[in-house]
Amino acid sequence: MATTTIAPATASTYRGGLYEWLTTTDHKKIGIMYVISSFIFFLIGGLLALGVRTELAQPGLQFVSNEGIYNQLFTMHATVMIFLFVIPMLAGFGNYVVPLMLGAPDMAFPRINALSLWLLPLGGILLLSSFLLGGGAQAGWTSYPPLSEDRPLASTGYGQDLWIVSLILIGTSSILGSINFLVTIFKMRAPGMTLFRMPILVWTVLVTSVLVLMATPVITSALIMLFIDRNYGGHFFDPATGGSAVLYQNIFWFYSHPAVYVMVLPAMGMISEILPVFSRKPLFGYKAFIFATAGIGALGFSVWAHHMFTTGAVFLPFFSLMTFLIAVPTGVKFFNWIATMWRGQLTFSTPMIFALGFLTMFLIGGINGAFSASVPVDFALHDTYWVVAHLHYVLFGGSVMGVFAGLYYWFPKMFGRMLDETLGKVQFIIMFIGLNLTFFPMHMVGLAGMPRRIADYANSGWTDLNLLATIGGFTIAASMLPFIWNVFVSLRSGKIAGDNPWEANTLEWATSSPPPPYNFDHLPEIRSERPLFDLRHGKTGH
Amino acid sequence: MSSSPRKRSTSAVRAIALLVIVVASFCAVFFYAGWWDAMFPVKAVTSQAHQVSELYTVIMAVATVVFLLVEGLIVWSILRYRRRPEDTELPPQIHGSNVLEVIWTVIPTAVVFVLFVMSLNTLNTVDALSKTPDVQIRAVAGQFQWQFDYLTPDGKTKLFTESTPLAANGGGLVVPAGLNVQLSLTSPDVIHSFYVPRFLFKRDVNPGMVNRFEFTIDPTEAGQTYRGQCAELCGIGHWTMQFDVVVKLPSDFAAYVKERTAAALVTPAPRPSGSVALELKAKDIQFDKKDVSVAAGQAFAIHFTNGDPAGLPHDVDIRQSDGRTVLQDKPTVDGGKDVTYDYTALKAGTYTFICSVHPQNMSGTLTVK
Ligand code: HEM
Ligand SMILES: [Cu+2]
Ligand SMILES: [Cu+2]
Repeated sequence: MATTTIAPATASTYRGGLYEWLTTTDHKKIGIMYVISSFIFFLIGGLLALGVRTELAQPGLQFVSNEGIYNQLFTMHATVMIFLFVIPMLAGFGNYVVPLMLGAPDMAFPRINALSLWLLPLGGILLLSSFLLGGGAQAGWTSYPPLSEDRPLASTGYGQDLWIVSLILIGTSSILGSINFLVTIFKMRAPGMTLFRMPILVWTVLVTSVLVLMATPVITSALIMLFIDRNYGGHFFDPATGGSAVLYQNIFWFYSHPAVYVMVLPAMGMISEILPVFSRKPLFGYKAFIFATAGIGALGFSVWAHHMFTTGAVFLPFFSLMTFLIAVPTGVKFFNWIATMWRGQLTFSTPMIFALGFLTMFLIGGINGAFSASVPVDFALHDTYWVVAHLHYVLFGGSVMGVFAGLYYWFPKMFGRMLDETLGKVQFIIMFIGLNLTFFPMHMVGLAGMPRRIADYANSGWTDLNLLATIGGFTIAASMLPFIWNVFVSLRSGKIAGDNPWEANTLEWATSSPPPPYNFDHLPEIRSERPLFDLRHGKTGH
Repeated sequence: MSSSPRKRSTSAVRAIALLVIVVASFCAVFFYAGWWDAMFPVKAVTSQAHQVSELYTVIMAVATVVFLLVEGLIVWSILRYRRRPEDTELPPQIHGSNVLEVIWTVIPTAVVFVLFVMSLNTLNTVDALSKTPDVQIRAVAGQFQWQFDYLTPDGKTKLFTESTPLAANGGGLVVPAGLNVQLSLTSPDVIHSFYVPRFLFKRDVNPGMVNRFEFTIDPTEAGQTYRGQCAELCGIGHWTMQFDVVVKLPSDFAAYVKERTAAALVTPAPRPSGSVALELKAKDIQFDKKDVSVAAGQAFAIHFTNGDPAGLPHDVDIRQSDGRTVLQDKPTVDGGKDVTYDYTALKAGTYTFICSVHPQNMSGTLTVK
C-alpha cells in the first residue's frame, strides 16, 4: 500500500512494512485496514450490482445464462454490501476515531480488536469462494427457508452453507467489536470526558454496539439452526417436516431490522460531527441527538415484523404503530441538523458536500418509510422495486454518502495529507446524479407492479425505467474512478494536512496527523463537547 | 456580526430567487415528463384496491409537504448561510432550544398518529373476511406454476382445477366482476406470494399454513384481463410464475363453472383395447425419458410414477412443440404415488410432454407418427 510514502516527519509511525501491519494491535492501523478491506468489498459488491443492472437493462435473458446465476448475483451483492462493506466500514471508522475522540491511547482490548478485523476477510473469502465451488447462495440475502433448505429446486450445493458459515464469522467479529467499543467508551475516557461531553459519533457507536450485542447472537442462532436443518436433518424451519418457515423470518428480522440502524446510526454520527464544523457552530440540540439515537435504538427492536406484513402471520397494528413512531426521532435529528446550519457560516469542502448529500438523499429514504409503515399501502409495495428504491435511498443515499463524508473528513488525520477538493467534488456530482438516476426510477417501476428479485420481465411499460436505472448504475461506478485516483495521488502529493485542517473541535484533531502510536503527547482540558473550540476561543463562545 | 444588515437582506433576496427558480424548474420537469403520475400506483380495480389507492394519495400528500419543507430548509441554508469573506467573527453559538425540540417532536408525532389511525381503518376493510363469500377459490402455488381449485360455496369440496395459469393458453384465474371472491392460498414447497398489481395487494403463500383474503372486482371491469406474478423469491423459475386474472360477467362466470364442473366429472373415453400404457417415471425432478413416441390418430395412455418424496407433485401435460401452448392438461400427482393419464388422439407431428410444475427441468419430445 502507498502508506509508506507519507510525510517524512511522521513516516516512522507507519514504516515497519507489511509484517507490522499484519500483526498490529494499534487501533488506528486496524481501523485503516477495516476501511480498506470494506472498500474493496464495496467495489466487489458494486460489480455484482452492475451484473444485475446489465441483465435488467432490457427484457430477455442476455447477460446471465439462467435465472439461478441472476439469483446468485443479487444475493451476493446484498450480502457483500451489508455484511462486508457497510457494517465493517462503519466499525472501521469507529475503531479509528473513537479512542482518539475520547482521548484514549487505544481500544480496551487491542488483540481482540485485531481478531475482529481478521475474521472479516476470512468470512469474505469463504463467501466468495462459493463461486468456485459450484455457485454462490441464491436464496436472497434474507435466505428464507424452505428455499434456503437443502432440497431439489431450492438450495442444494455448498453455496448456502458457505453463506451461513461466513455470516457466523462476520457476526462473531461484530459481537467482539461491540464489546470492545462498549468497554472502551465506558472505561477509557480521558479525565474530564464525561458521557455528556462525548462527541455524537461516539454516542452513535455506543448505541450501535448495544444493538449489535443484543441482536447478533439471535441471528447467529437462526443461522446455526438453518445449518443443522441443511446438514443434519434438523427440521427447525421446514414445514414439510413439522418446522415453521415464518419462525425463521421472525428471528431473522429481529436482528436485521436493528441491523439497519447499525448501518445508519454511525453515519448519522459522522454527519453530526461534520455539519457543525463546516457551519462554525455547535451541534444544535446535543442532548436531543443522544435521546433520539437511544430512542431509535430502542424502538428498533419493536418493528421487526414490518418486513412481514404480507405473511399473514403477524399482529399488524402493533408493528405498524411502532414503525410510524420511529419516524419521530429521525425527524428530530433532521430538524436539529438544519438548525445547526441555520444562521451559520457554511463552507463547502468535500466532507460538507457529502454530508449535505446525506441530508437530501436520506430524507427520501426516510419519508418512504411512512408508506411502508402503513400496512395496506405496504401490501401493494412490499417485494416490488419500490422497496429496492427505498432501501437504497437509506443505504446508499444515507450510509454510503456518510461514509464518503467521513473518508474525506478523516483521511487527513489518517494519512497526514488532504484529499484533492476538485476531484472530490467531481466524484460527488457524478455519484449524486448516478444515485438518483439508478434508484429514483425504481420507485416508479415498483409502483407499476414490477416485483424485486426477478431475472427478467415481459412488461414493456417497465423497460424505459429499467434502462434508466442501468445507465445510473454505470454512472455510479464511474464516480469511483475519480475517488480512487484521488486517494493514490493525494497519498503521494496531497497538501500536508497539519493537526487540524478543518478547524474542528473534537480531540482527534488535538494530536498530529497521523497521530503517534500512543495517540496523544498531551491532552487539552476537556470542559465541554468541543474541547478544541474552548482552546481556540476560551469559554466565551458558550 | 461583521456584515451590514443591508448586505444580508440583498443576499436573502438573491437566495430566495435562486431557490424559487430551482424548485420551479424541478417541478416543471417533473410534471412535464409525466413523472408525477408515475409516482402513484397503477389503476385500482377492486373495491379494496380503491381504498388502498386513496390512502396512498393521502400519505403521498403528507410526504410531499414534508419533503418540500425539509429539502427547502436545507437548500435555503445552503444558499443563505454561506460563509462570506467578511465573516471573520464566529456566528452566534446557539446550543439548542427546548421549545423547538418539543415542537418538532410533538407535531410529527401527531402527524404519524393520524396516518396510523387512517391506515388502521383502511386495513380493517381491506383485510376483512366475510362468513359467506360469493365464490371460493384455492390458489396452489408450486415451483413454478399456479393452479386454481374452484370450490363449492362452503369451501369444502373441489369442483374442478384450472391448472393453466395464462389466458393466452386458454386458462387463467377466472373470476366474476362485482362478486365477492375469497381466495385461500397454499403451497406444497417453498414460500410464494400471490400478487396482482391491479389489486394493489399481495399475500404470501406459506407452506404449512393457509392464508385467505377477499376481493371484489369493479362491475365495470368484466372482460378485462390482468397479469399477476409470484412476488416472493422461490427459486430458479421465480419470474416465470405468472398468471392471468380473467374477469367475466357473473352470468358468464356461472356458465363457465358449470361447464368445467361437468367436464371434470366425465370419465374420458377408454383407450382402444389392446393398447398398453407407456411407462414414464420422475425422480429428482427429472423424467427418466427424453423421447416418447405414439401412433397418430389414436388415443393413448401414460402410466406415470412420481418417484420424488411426498410434497413434490408432478404431472405430464402435452404442449405444442414451442413448449408453451397447452394442448392436454392433466392434474398433478403427489410424490410417492402413480397414476395412469389418458390422452386423446393427436395428429402426426412433434409435441412436448412437460411437467407444468417444473417446466424448466422436466420436459421431453413426444413424437406422433
Ligand atoms: C453501486 C450501486 C448499486 C446498485 C446499482 C445496486 C443495484 C441493486 C439492484 C438492481 C438490486 C435489486 C436486485 C433484484 O431485486 O433483483 C439491489 C438489491 C439490493 N441492494 Fe443494491 N445496488 C447498489 C448499491 C448497494 C449498496 C451500497 C447497498 C448496501 C449498503 C445495497 C444493498 C442492497 C440490498 C440489501 C438489496 C436487496 C437484495 C435482495 O433482494 O436480496 N446496494 N441492488
Ligand atoms: Cu426493517
Ligand atoms: Cu413463486
